[in-house]
Amino acid sequence: MEMKGDSHKHKTVEPDESESLADIFAFLALLVRYPDISFFDNEFLDTLEILLTRLNLEKSCLKISIWRNSVEDPLLDAQLEYTRLFINAVPHVIAPPYASVYQDGDFSLQGKTTEKIRNFYRQHGFDVVVSTQPADHIQFELEFLSYIYRQGQFDVGDYFLSTFFVPWFEKFLQKISEELRHPLYRVSLQLITYFVKEEQ
Amino acid sequence: MAMNLTRRNLLKTASLAAASVPLSKVVAKAETGIAKVPLIPPGSFKKTKTVTGGVCEMCFWRCQLVGKVRDNRLIKLEGNPKSIDNGLNLCARGNSGIKLVYDPDRLKYPMKNIGKRGAPKWKKISWEEALDTCAAKLQATIDKYGPKGIGVWYHGASAHYPTAYFEYLGVPNMYEPAFYQCRGQTAMAMMQTLGFVPNEDVDMANSKAMLLVGCHLGENIHLSHVKNFLKGLENGSKLVVVDPRFSASAAKAHIWVKIKPGTDTAFLLGLMNYMLGKGCYNKSFVDKHCLGLNKLKTHVAEWSIEKTAKECDIPGKQIVEVAELLCEHAPHVAVHPGRHAAWYGNDFQRVRANACLTALLGAIDCPGGIVQIKRMSTGHVHWPKVEHEEDPEDMALAEMEEKYPFRPPGTPPELMRETMVTGKPYPIKSMVIWGTNSIKTMPNQEETMKALANMDFIMVTDVSPTDITMWADILLPEACYLERYDHIEKGTQWNQSDKPQQFVAARMPLVEPMFERKDSVWMINELARRMGHEKDIPVKNQEEFVDHMLKEADLSIAKLRKLDGIYIQEGESPYLKKGDEPEFGTDSGKIELYSEAMDDEDFPPLPTYTRTEEPPKGYARMIYGRSPVHTFNRTANNAWLSREVPENPLWLNDESAKKMGIKDGDRVSLENQAGKRSAGSTVVKVTPGIRKDCVFIAHGFGTFNPAMTVGYNKGIDDNSLNTKINREGETGISGMRINFVRIIKNGKTINIPG
Ligand code: SF4
Repeated sequence: MEMKGDSHKHKTVEPDESESLADIFAFLALLVRYPDISFFDNEFLDTLEILLTRLNLEKSCLKISIWRNSVEDPLLDAQLEYTRLFINAVPHVIAPPYASVYQDGDFSLQGKTTEKIRNFYRQHGFDVVVSTQPADHIQFELEFLSYIYRQGQFDVGDYFLSTFFVPWFEKFLQKISEELRHPLYRVSLQLITYFVKEEQ
Repeated sequence: MAMNLTRRNLLKTASLAAASVPLSKVVAKAETGIAKVPLIPPGSFKKTKTVTGGVCEMCFWRCQLVGKVRDNRLIKLEGNPKSIDNGLNLCARGNSGIKLVYDPDRLKYPMKNIGKRGAPKWKKISWEEALDTCAAKLQATIDKYGPKGIGVWYHGASAHYPTAYFEYLGVPNMYEPAFYQCRGQTAMAMMQTLGFVPNEDVDMANSKAMLLVGCHLGENIHLSHVKNFLKGLENGSKLVVVDPRFSASAAKAHIWVKIKPGTDTAFLLGLMNYMLGKGCYNKSFVDKHCLGLNKLKTHVAEWSIEKTAKECDIPGKQIVEVAELLCEHAPHVAVHPGRHAAWYGNDFQRVRANACLTALLGAIDCPGGIVQIKRMSTGHVHWPKVEHEEDPEDMALAEMEEKYPFRPPGTPPELMRETMVTGKPYPIKSMVIWGTNSIKTMPNQEETMKALANMDFIMVTDVSPTDITMWADILLPEACYLERYDHIEKGTQWNQSDKPQQFVAARMPLVEPMFERKDSVWMINELARRMGHEKDIPVKNQEEFVDHMLKEADLSIAKLRKLDGIYIQEGESPYLKKGDEPEFGTDSGKIELYSEAMDDEDFPPLPTYTRTEEPPKGYARMIYGRSPVHTFNRTANNAWLSREVPENPLWLNDESAKKMGIKDGDRVSLENQAGKRSAGSTVVKVTPGIRKDCVFIAHGFGTFNPAMTVGYNKGIDDNSLNTKINREGETGISGMRINFVRIIKNGKTINIPG
């Protein structure tokens, strides 16, 4: 498989749009990253609400604001839910956020898919810096997209999305859907869907 | 992909809408996990490297292996071509180790239970917080109750360093199920009789006849051991298998003794009586090396062929046939010492009988017999010896209560559990559980849960979210056997008649641990630092730990790496040379058919049979064993192995099944004599290959932690039905084949005709 996206490389896009999309994807990556104090604060959640409003997703915005007001400690609440959904949980981890788990047919980390995705990063001048995490974690994929968009490589980004990201993300959504009750993660995944789906 | 216009437009609109949102400030706060790197040409990581130095731990046999690694990703495991033990082979489980490494269900980060024990709610915490909490809680227990307030349950090579630390702290009660309820009992009874522990060093490959009492090699796959067994068959050795069930071994047997469960000791006594009566035992060996022949002769005299046949429910002529076969081939007879012995609560005596029979055949240190294999030795890592206010040896529960004089090292499991519940003779209030799923090993799970509920603090370290991890207050994720250094494997060429060689292999990681998994040396040193013992830390890290042990053999990790993971040198044959005399480490220096020591402790000094309780009407005895592609519950969540064997079929006698209206493949659950029902269900395997008075099921299924998404609730947990306890006085170990079950199908209870 040679990079189809390569042929479209450096297709010019207005710099503003590229910066803005890059920020959006970087922000989406934060939404699916383990919430910790370094970034997950009031400003972060305010920003989420503003973004939702600007995108005319008022209902989602309302969900977030109700949730924030109803829990004592949104950070702790988000951490617990993140752990339950994505790390280890009882009854069980709901949906491991790694591409290989859905694509390689035997429910495993570090599969063939992981290798392909990592190679794609590398071919475009990026790599995961923490070697203890599989390269196909949803957070890394979104971060990669952010970098790619910042460089204005829209076609590479789109190619990555349609070839690597969306196929597993859809299965992941299916797996998680029944358990997706928490407003933060409902909205986060809705927002990601909004930006990655080809057809709306 | 052609640029999708709808999407392009959408993104454009969205990005314009978002342009005024202050995203950049927020996203700048956290460092990304992706970074710009110099361009890497395609194909740079295509090359697969072979990494040597792996030692398998999918079971306890520890085959030596290599890993095929690409771009720091383990792709395949293979036997180490240099191995003189397992060679190029790995069994199904060994191959599937890769699925453990990359199992998404594995523990990844330290966790704190903010829910309840047994019904946990997990919060991911930092190592700092996890270790601070463990240190503070354990110290609080020591301050209040002394080190005896802590108990330890542990398993495996990664627990060696931790247990050494807890010993240093003065913790008197530790229990390792995999030793205690498995080889430990056999080892002690053999030691008491022969003065050495043969483990499973039995030279089947070069035997003329083999006797397996209850062993089901082939279902119990330990690679070089199975090679040894198969070589024996290939060489024409005559195999006798004593088993109520047509096991994988029985299927290869020349004589299958379809014995009534629980009567094995009677069978062994009957064999000995016949041999002694006929005088066909190995006289010269016995005269020279055994004590108490006459006493044994008188003692077994009651076990006539008729009486033995009746007791064991087998044809008398089969006993004669077996006895004569064994005598004809003595001393080249492989009487397998067995492994897991905790069957009926009178098992020490059975193993003694087994050892006495071996002695009567003189089947020791000769081709085909039990052999004392000569392995290289390596060192140990100790923490410094320190004085304790209360001597931990005196404080050990069994010692204090003057019970179980022939117990294996450690505290008998149920004795410790009782103390955890009652607080007598002193409170045990904190538990450290290291890599053992003890909820699946001790009979009467409710009692175990009660004991755990009574603790002030529970720290659990494991690789996977096994059932016991649900009771942790703090749960620590450990690197698995392919990601760490720990064990040193020592052995010889697998076939004792080949050129004698010895080898040493150290477990070395094939890949780096992912997430925040850590090795035990790191964890314990961090804990020790926090508990104020920094100055006594004996080794800085896991590499130093292994190097320290290797030093005695003049080896090191660096040297082993150069040797592709295995050091090999010339060895020594275990067979006695002409003129050499065998040595026995008993008090008398002889094989003790009659044991003074046992008499002194008021136990039968000659191997004695006690009847086990019969199944009540409508019930059959539940016997258990192994599935060839699983290592009990340890592999329950392995995607490959679980696909091969997802559950544990219940073996049911065909005639019984017919009367009960049960067909092969029916789905059933079980109820035991106390009315306890299995949580899960399984399929029935209807077969003439099992007696009517028992049913068989493989152990280790029925995982009840839903966090094990592959293994969860698959099959039946036999141990959940072990509610009756029958502890033997010699060792304090309970038999686990003393519970009885009947069948539930479609909600209806069906009796099993006797
Ligand atoms: S017998 Fe199988 S599981 Fe056991 S150590 Fe060898 S390869 Fe591993």
